[in-house]
Amino acid sequence: MNESEGALVSTAAADSEQKRSRRRWKPFPLAARLLLASCVLAALVAGVFVLLLLAISTLRDATDREAHAKDVVTSAVTTEKLVLDLETGLRGLQLGGNRQFLQPALRSKAEVPRRLSELEQEVVDDPTQLRRARQLHRSVSDYIELYFDLIIDIARDSPEAARTDVALAEGRRRIDGIQDQFASFVAAEDAQAARSAQTASDRADLAIALGVLGLVLSAALIITFGAYLARSIARPVRGVAQGATRLAAGEFSLRLGEGGPGEIGELTRAFNSMAGELEQGQRELREQNRRLQKSERAKSELVSIVSHEVRTPLASVLGFTSLLLHRDTDDETRRRYLEIVDAQGRRLNALLDDFLDVQRLEEGRLQLSSELVDMAALLQEQVQLFEAQSELHRLELEVNGEPLDVRGDPNRLAQVVGNLLSNAIKYSPEGGTVEVLGRPSNGSVRVSVRDHGLGIPADQHDRIFTKFFRGDAATSGIAGSGLGLAFARAVIEAHGGRMGFESTSGGGSTFFLELPRAGA
Amino acid sequence: MSTNSSTAGKTILICEDEDTLRELIRVSLGPGYQFVEAVDGIESLELAREVRPDLVVLDLMLPRKTGVEVLADLRNDRSMRDTPVVVITAWTHAQQAAVAAGADRFVPKPFDPDELRTVVGELLQRR
Repeated sequence: MNESEGALVSTAAADSEQKRSRRRWKPFPLAARLLLASCVLAALVAGVFVLLLLAISTLRDATDREAHAKDVVTSAVTTEKLVLDLETGLRGLQLGGNRQFLQPALRSKAEVPRRLSELEQEVVDDPTQLRRARQLHRSVSDYIELYFDLIIDIARDSPEAARTDVALAEGRRRIDGIQDQFASFVAAEDAQAARSAQTASDRADLAIALGVLGLVLSAALIITFGAYLARSIARPVRGVAQGATRLAAGEFSLRLGEGGPGEIGELTRAFNSMAGELEQGQRELREQNRRLQKSERAKSELVSIVSHEVRTPLASVLGFTSLLLHRDTDDETRRRYLEIVDAQGRRLNALLDDFLDVQRLEEGRLQLSSELVDMAALLQEQVQLFEAQSELHRLELEVNGEPLDVRGDPNRLAQVVGNLLSNAIKYSPEGGTVEVLGRPSNGSVRVSVRDHGLGIPADQHDRIFTKFFRGDAATSGIAGSGLGLAFARAVIEAHGGRMGFESTSGGGSTFFLELPRAGA
Repeated sequence: MSTNSSTAGKTILICEDEDTLRELIRVSLGPGYQFVEAVDGIESLELAREVRPDLVVLDLMLPRKTGVEVLADLRNDRSMRDTPVVVITAWTHAQQAAVAAGADRFVPKPFDPDELRTVVGELLQRR
């Protein structure tokens, strides 16, 4: 009990797990997939563009820096020239004593500090160069204050003192130092310019590489996307279209593979469901058509049988009446003809009664009396009655002596037994034994009639109780209306019993009926 | 209308399973003929071969062998290929099958006794 409950629970859990995983793996709707793919493509293109823009912007920076470095170099060289002008003017004064040479030097002296400050400003972003520029500024200021101005003062009092080797050497030393400093400043700036140029070139290469890469990636992505669209949409849609064509051509059993993402899956599922409905409808129509044809056949069979069954007695009635009317006949002959007309008229009437009885029974309108009937006695009577009718047949009745009481209409039950006996005789035209058996069976009374006659082919078994169905008898000349068994079954069923048979073609037939036993 | 000399004494085979109809056919044709009667298809063929009738009156719905089969067998028998056959049946739609199988005349059931007598007389005189 517990175990089975556990199994049940675990099965339910597995079920829900399966459901969850199905939901988890349920493919995205196609629209979402398309949107996603478009977004990825757009993001890639945008990313490549951003990278390109960045590369181009860096390239411009590098170019700008290179140009700036060149400006700085120009500026430094100009400043150096001014300093050298200073030195040249001073040297003229020292060696020639001529104050006239000093005028351009003095103009330079006024300009140099401004230029040096500007140089500092130009390299304010580069700490190393700024340090060098300041050093230069200091060295040049020192030269002006501690040498240039000093020598001019000394030369005013004693030109010889300003011309001493020591004084000249000191000037030479200071200018050399300043020139060295300018040289290293310019060299550093040149290097910076070269570096910037290299960076610019590198960035340009990178930008090109990125552009190409982006182009290739986008192309690859677009091709992949196209292939994906073709595979996951175009192909299944084409499959559905071809399926629809085949379906339209009548291939109703066609089903498509129900794969495919989102809407495509829905489309194939909808297609299959439509095909299923169509097939079902087609099958129902065919079945209905078959039933209609069958009922149509039964109807035309009925018309043929009725016309034949009615015409045979009618032929006698009309024929003998005509003889009576148109030919001279003696009394005896006339009487014979009238008897025939009477008998055939009655036969017609009985046929009509049978037909109406079956009709009423089937519609539940036939009144049946409810009396206690001993089937054993009834069988006895009927067997005696039919035994007298045929010399070729021997009827054997087997009952065990006790009464077989049922409740019902004795006349109708006698008719049913009569029909079974009549059939047994009619359908064993070569004669033989007909075995009639009556016995109690599980609260019922069972009656069976067995003949050794023609039997019933298997393909006619399901129609044997059908009204007017006479099997091969219809064309073999065995008389009858085809109403006997239909009537018998309707009567037995109206009594709450059942009827059946066993038969093989050529092996005879056994018809049986079972009625509820009275008081059982 | 009495039987004339040319038809007198001719043998007529009546193939019909209903007793009263055999009697009706017999009476309809009147005296002057010799009648042989069969009640099913097989007996019909046996009697036909035995007595070589001058004319056959044949019901199409016979036990054991249908009238159409009997007719076909008669037509395949060289000695009876030209024997006149009058087919009588309630199956009006069987007329075509009967004519195809070689019936000379077709009389629907129910039939007028005088008409049957006339038809039989004409066929016997034609021979």
